[in-house]
Amino acid sequence: MPSFLRFLSVALLAVPLLALAAPPQAGTEHVKARLVASQDTVAPGQRFTVALEQDIKAHWHTYWLNPGDSGQATSITWTGAEAGPIQWPTPAVQPIGPLVNYGYEGRVALLLDLTVPADAKPGSRFQPVAEVRWLVCKDVCIPEQVTLGLDLPVAAQAQAGADAAQIDEWRGAIPKPAPFAVQLKPAAQGVQLSGPGEGVTKAYFFADTWGAVAHSAPQALTAEGGGWALELPAGDDPVKPGQPLSGVIVLTTASGQQAWTVTAPMPEGAGKGPGPADLAAPSAAVPTPAPESDLGVLTAMALALVGGLILNLMPCVFPVLSIKALALVNQGNHKAEGLAYTAGVLASFALLAAVLIALRAGGQQVGWGFQFHSPVFVLVVAYLLFMVGLNLSGLFDIGGGFTGIGSGLAARQGLAGSFFTGVLAAVVATPCTAPFMGAALAFALAQPAAVLLAVFLALGLGLALPFLVLAFWPAAQRWLPRPGAWMDKFKQFLAFPMYAAVVWLLWVLAQQTGPDGVALALGGLVLIAFALWLRRASRGLAGGAVALASLVLALGVGSVIKPVSADVRAADAAVEAYSAERVVELRAQNKPVFVNMTASWCISCLVNERVALSRPEVKDAFAKAGITYLKGDWTREDPAITAVLKAHGRSGVPLYLYYAPGAAEAQVLPQILTPGLVIEAVSTPTNPAPRS
Amino acid sequence: MTLLRRSLLAAALIAPALVHAAANVDAPAPAFTAMTADGKTVNLADFKGKTVVLEWTNHDCPYVKKHYSGNMQGQQKAAAAQGVVWLQVISSAPGQQGHVDGATAQKLNADRGAVVAATLLDPKGEIGKAYGAQTTPHMYVIAPDGKLAYKGGIDSIASNKADDIAKADPYVTQALAAIAAGRKVEKASTRPYGCSVKYAS
Repeated sequence: MPSFLRFLSVALLAVPLLALAAPPQAGTEHVKARLVASQDTVAPGQRFTVALEQDIKAHWHTYWLNPGDSGQATSITWTGAEAGPIQWPTPAVQPIGPLVNYGYEGRVALLLDLTVPADAKPGSRFQPVAEVRWLVCKDVCIPEQVTLGLDLPVAAQAQAGADAAQIDEWRGAIPKPAPFAVQLKPAAQGVQLSGPGEGVTKAYFFADTWGAVAHSAPQALTAEGGGWALELPAGDDPVKPGQPLSGVIVLTTASGQQAWTVTAPMPEGAGKGPGPADLAAPSAAVPTPAPESDLGVLTAMALALVGGLILNLMPCVFPVLSIKALALVNQGNHKAEGLAYTAGVLASFALLAAVLIALRAGGQQVGWGFQFHSPVFVLVVAYLLFMVGLNLSGLFDIGGGFTGIGSGLAARQGLAGSFFTGVLAAVVATPCTAPFMGAALAFALAQPAAVLLAVFLALGLGLALPFLVLAFWPAAQRWLPRPGAWMDKFKQFLAFPMYAAVVWLLWVLAQQTGPDGVALALGGLVLIAFALWLRRASRGLAGGAVALASLVLALGVGSVIKPVSADVRAADAAVEAYSAERVVELRAQNKPVFVNMTASWCISCLVNERVALSRPEVKDAFAKAGITYLKGDWTREDPAITAVLKAHGRSGVPLYLYYAPGAAEAQVLPQILTPGLVIEAVSTPTNPAPRS
Repeated sequence: MTLLRRSLLAAALIAPALVHAAANVDAPAPAFTAMTADGKTVNLADFKGKTVVLEWTNHDCPYVKKHYSGNMQGQQKAAAAQGVVWLQVISSAPGQQGHVDGATAQKLNADRGAVVAATLLDPKGEIGKAYGAQTTPHMYVIAPDGKLAYKGGIDSIASNKADDIAKADPYVTQALAAIAAGRKVEKASTRPYGCSVKYAS
């Protein structure tokens, strides 16, 4: 009996003592958590590692230091010990709908260092307590909290425990400081992070603070010449000059995947445009122009110039230019006309640049060809080309004359005509994004106003160059045919490309506004024709007034045209409408995805579809590889598509992306496609070599 | 004729100014038309000239519950007293947490004493995506000139503990005070925190 009483009293005394030491493990509905110490016995003042292991219910996740677009990092508050910061294992990217989180699934161990108080007495017990809070989410989020504790004997001599090896293993999952330096510089859509390393096939950067990087944006990788560079679109709190960007970079090479912590300062003065170094060595940084967006200024201008030259061959520009060239056959001050034409082109591009700069200053997202998002703009250009067509057909003469052919006009009028021909050429050229130009414009749109203007003027100069050369170089004029009656016929013939261009624009309008919009637009064309006929038939003031009224009415028609609600047309059963969610879903299933960002007003897009993507051999290759073909329609502005274009350094369509199964990054295909090129790209079995 | 041609060309070049907006501070707030919980249709343009608050919400989210312990209702009442239009937006997709019909949304607000000008039902997530709403709560303030003046968290302490409310910087309250006083909003873009918006995935 006494022994029983003694046992009872000891037991009763022990209850409060035991209650002091919190349990090392506890569970909630979604997470089993436990504390694991590297030591069995600790010494006073000793620092040792403790792990918080979370065993998370299947399909649920907890969060990293920077949880991403939503969520919250796990936190641990210690009492009874001094604790260092949590050492986080490399997280995983967790897409949820259009958002992206950074966190963990399954089992994860967060490590930290605890320091035993220096005045702890050998023979006593070290009993730190941890308040652990986490948010655990699947489709819903649950905040949970447990109280965990350690209970370790204090002795003069510390002794490692059986779990020390386990903790060392967990430590292997924690990224270490990179043994190499990384560089940060401003890029088109945010920043570019680069570093050394051969054969990097995949890379992802986890920024450790919210807002520095757009978590949900794709990170485009360039790897060559023994290094890698990752484009990181900026988030809502971009890195400022002089401030560092830090986080974890995960690099995949043939030998596996490695994660490092990196920090790089944003150069002071960044964001003020490329410095002298960029100008001095543009070629080193520019492998091939098309997919790159961080070109040097001079390279961008050179590309713009070439792009402008190519614009001359576009179906709607060519007739305008031909008329102008024909004018040279006649007498006149060719040099002055050439200059006036050039001035017209340059003035238009300067105005366009100014509008872009103003829009950008207003915080708008703009891309090349963006003006064609407006049905009213499309309609106005259609009207304009129709009027030019009628003029060429001879239905009416314009007083000042676009062309000045054989009308014995005064020199001043001829010059004004040349100037406006230049303006017209610039207006009709805008939808035709020539290859090479895409990269230059994407670069320009991300640059300070002066650089943007310079690139646009280079583009204008390219457009004006052929005519300028003809005007200033008599030898070239000799190649032109002799003037004669044929010129009138040729002029009338040139009306037809104009009418064809009008048909194309109305087709674009049909995509934007539906049948009602087209009917209104056609009505407007009839009114214009009527007005011009009336003007010629009456020659009187009243007739002129009626004509003007009809024209105003035609324009009024335009103002009532409204875009129809967005629905991407997928005429081909094999084509699905693009959505970011669909891409994430397919990639999660390790299925290959081909993305085509296009617009009805984009000629190169339509040509690529005709000559490459719609070819039976390409369709077969897609079917064989099990590729899901997604088509994004940018005919009307779509911020989701604009974001994807930006993420890949483009400011306009077309953009072709191929996600190989399991590839971290999309392969960007060139802006001019051939069937062979597409088939080769999609037939590469594993993640293809990073785009060059 | 020349004049007309000139103006046509000018119009053609200036027409790009008509393009879209994005949810960036100091830029025009994205326009929307939405169905409200009481079956009406509202358009952002209806509130031109007034300050508008958009509050993304999901009544089952713990972070929303944290602020509906009194803080959110208090801010709504104070805002209403200043003539501010407070709009709740529910972007949860059907079948997802927080998705409710209009009647339920109204009942929830009545039960917790919420005071809002309207609750916008956005089950397709169109408004949410136009604004880039990521969390519940995620707050936006639109100034009377129609430009976005604030976006981000409701306050500065990202936690689900109601105790933290008193210690936090109330960003939305500060933004509304700045707009009312004609000052620039000091912290115009902050980190939103909370549950993810339950878009259709």
